[in-house]
Amino acid sequence: MNWNMILYTVLNTAFVLLFAPLLVSLIKKVKAMCQGRRGTPLLQTYFQLFKLFKKEIIYSDNSSFIMRISPYLNIAFLLVASIFIPIVFIPAQESGFGNIILFLYLMVCARFFMALSGLDAGSTFGGMGSSREMTIASIIEPTTLMACAAIAFILKTTNIPEMFGTVLDGSILQYPTLFLVPSSLFIILIVETARVPVDNPETHLELTMVHEAMILEQSGPKLALMELSYGIKQLILMALLINILFPWGMATDATAAGILISIASFIVKALILAVVMGVFESFFAKIRFFRLPDFFMIAFFLSFATIVFELLS
Amino acid sequence: MSGCALLLSACLLPLFFMRTTGKTSRRIALFIMLSGLACITTTALICFFSGTDCNLLLYALTPELLFNIHLDRLAAFFTALIGLVAFCCVIYSLNYIEHGGSEKGRHILTALLPLFILSMIMVVASDNMFGFLFFWEIMSISSFFLVMYNREKVETQKAGIFYFVMTQFSTLFLFIAFLLIYRYTGTFDIGYTEALPQVVKSFAFMALVIGFGTKAGLIPFHKWLPYAHSAAPSNISALMSGVMLKVAIYGLCRFAFDVLQPELWWGFVLLAFGTVSAVLGVIYALKEHDLKKLLAYHSIENIGIIVIGLGLYVIFNHYGLQTAANLSMVGALFHTLNHAVFKSLLFMTAGSVVQATGTRNIEEMGGLVKKMPVTAILFLIGSCAISALPPLNGFASEIMIFQAYLGSFELNNPVVEIVMVIGLAAFALMSALAAACFVKAFGIVFLAKPRSREAGKATEVSLGMLAGPAILALTCVVLGVFSFQIIKGIGFDLPVPNMLPVSILLLLIILVFAGLLKLFHVPVRTGETWGCGIQKQTPVMEYTATGFSEPIVTIFRLIFRTKKSNDKEYFDSAESITKRTEAKITTFKFFEERIYMPLANFFMKLAAFISQKHNKDVETFILYAFVTIVLLLVTAGLWL
Repeated sequence: MNWNMILYTVLNTAFVLLFAPLLVSLIKKVKAMCQGRRGTPLLQTYFQLFKLFKKEIIYSDNSSFIMRISPYLNIAFLLVASIFIPIVFIPAQESGFGNIILFLYLMVCARFFMALSGLDAGSTFGGMGSSREMTIASIIEPTTLMACAAIAFILKTTNIPEMFGTVLDGSILQYPTLFLVPSSLFIILIVETARVPVDNPETHLELTMVHEAMILEQSGPKLALMELSYGIKQLILMALLINILFPWGMATDATAAGILISIASFIVKALILAVVMGVFESFFAKIRFFRLPDFFMIAFFLSFATIVFELLS
Repeated sequence: MSGCALLLSACLLPLFFMRTTGKTSRRIALFIMLSGLACITTTALICFFSGTDCNLLLYALTPELLFNIHLDRLAAFFTALIGLVAFCCVIYSLNYIEHGGSEKGRHILTALLPLFILSMIMVVASDNMFGFLFFWEIMSISSFFLVMYNREKVETQKAGIFYFVMTQFSTLFLFIAFLLIYRYTGTFDIGYTEALPQVVKSFAFMALVIGFGTKAGLIPFHKWLPYAHSAAPSNISALMSGVMLKVAIYGLCRFAFDVLQPELWWGFVLLAFGTVSAVLGVIYALKEHDLKKLLAYHSIENIGIIVIGLGLYVIFNHYGLQTAANLSMVGALFHTLNHAVFKSLLFMTAGSVVQATGTRNIEEMGGLVKKMPVTAILFLIGSCAISALPPLNGFASEIMIFQAYLGSFELNNPVVEIVMVIGLAAFALMSALAAACFVKAFGIVFLAKPRSREAGKATEVSLGMLAGPAILALTCVVLGVFSFQIIKGIGFDLPVPNMLPVSILLLLIILVFAGLLKLFHVPVRTGETWGCGIQKQTPVMEYTATGFSEPIVTIFRLIFRTKKSNDKEYFDSAESITKRTEAKITTFKFFEERIYMPLANFFMKLAAFISQKHNKDVETFILYAFVTIVLLLVTAGLWL
């Protein structure tokens, strides 16, 4: 690890930690406005996290060490995954960080432990959440991998920073097949962040019980960690989508001005995407659980088509 | 290195202890085994890392039929793998053997165990097809007797017979392949052959795939695996799944890639077999509620992954993509090692759980994390490894296969590339389903409240039964975290990510957050959460394994042929008061009902027909003899 890498790691992680909650509340705000409500203030998620950090932790009598360690593991896996997605600047190549498969599997890790903690307390709600989450995961994963394979096939690399660099150096017009990827990445983003029409992040009614049901038994700072890691996951997936398609403004070396410009440009792009997500969510109703594979199939076939076009061209 | 032979015979010593009775003699036998295995493993590792071959002629029956040892790097790798897993298994057996069974039975188990291990090592080390088959048969028969350990149970008898038939089926095809090779080369030595005509080579290859595939558990030759693994004692299932299947993989590597030269279509055959086994294996595992059968189906899945790697190697090698070919070959062999480690770990810990609760049905377990905390942690490490979670070893080898798949954009052959992409999607599906399955396995077995009285009374197992798996769990972590360094150390420079910095960062972040919470002295309380009006939470309210896998079973209903039925009887004509309700979810066992049973029935009918013909008087038999002689004369006349 050289200084460039350490600087990158610290800055990127800090930015992700600070910015992630804002996007959560922004999407909520957009949804509220679409529904004709005023919504909560933009800083609400920060207040909420702060409040939770001050509360006590209550564990169920039935729960075990899984419940206790899973929030730490969750946030650790997602924070490490966030290092794989350069936002502040594209670091010099370093083996170990940036492999797209490793990135996906770090997120699988987080999900694995979250699902286990859902089963830990022995309540039906948690079990239901875990079961559904793993079902959705097992059908979305081939799709996610397909989308990533499509990107890897087009840009001829499996390293995420290198992908961003390639698109940044050339122009997106050089890779016309890349235009098919965002829609599947967008669907993956919706699924992974448990949004309507797959899940509803605002309720834990029985119908939509997936993500919220799993973390139902968590409390206090542990719940805060879970919520924060949810925000991080959302941010890094958005960043993947944004930086593959529109990496303009990203700095390739660590100068103060470059970093500021890439952060500023990323914030603008992320805000636009968040608004799009909020609006999209408002226009859809929840899909019946067993109809979800059809929804994922759209993303799957788009990615598959991308690969076929790329191979035939 | 010639000390190898002495140590092998040291392994056999326990057989002579048969006369004496008591625990001590078994202990001594097992300790001798341990020392023998330690020496063999060390020898094999020296062979592997120094790259020097080890040759030894043991006994020559005739100048052609030899028992000789030849350890090159491939054989040394597999010998070391067998040695390592068997070592941990023997440590586990120290305590495990003392539970259940009669005094005599335990003695037989102790005596057969080294025979089984030794025969596997000798199969791998043999440099002669005769020796290979000889020890292959000893391996099959000794493992058959080991499976039959609880022979009074009907289920075991059925499993044993099934296993025996399938294992002979496998040997039959190996015979065919070996004789074909012998016919054209004129030697039983295992070595490079170029004299084989195209057609013969293809036949030999298919016979090898069927022969070794049956032993390794490739679908559709897999059916014996779940039966035999669940019926055998757990230390034996650990050895069978962890090691014996790998011996078949060794055979496939040795004969298909080393003795015969692979052709392009072989790669596709292997890829197809591998993908089908991997995906169907895990899908069948998901609906399985017998803990050991579930693990057995996962063995099928993992053998599938290994065979996928081998298939990719053939394809990439044919197109001259050296990096991708190396990636898939090293990935396949590394996964062989990794699967041996985590699967035997899982089988051993599952054995502890089965012994503590007295049942293999996971619906009757639960809450064991508090009763058996160490076993739970060991099982969790195994589950994470098999679900391919970084930074453990299962991921380290699967990412190589992924990388190889993603490297296929250099192929310049759209058709092959599209096949690859479909394979990649299937691979991702399999890997995600495996994670779902192990969330179920760990969650239902260890978490929440005990679902039966037996599970509530379970206690932690003794030290030996923890030490064996613990070594393997440590190996899982080391092989994963240092995978990049290990692969580099053995002389391959492959584009795989370095997991060391990732692991260090993970640990760092966990420590930072845990430290933060400690620093602020967050108050912690345990108590009832989420009462929701219920008076007392009972195990009946918990999510069950059936419930957990139900959505997946429903989504993959085409494969399971899931049928849901709901029969109701009513008291009244308006159908408002139910008298009796019966809800059923049935799944269709495609291979058993469509392939195995019809075949078995056919042979049963044939046998019945022949035995009917046997049941005749002397005149008929004279007629039979006459007809036979006439036929013989006619064919002989035609032939000569």
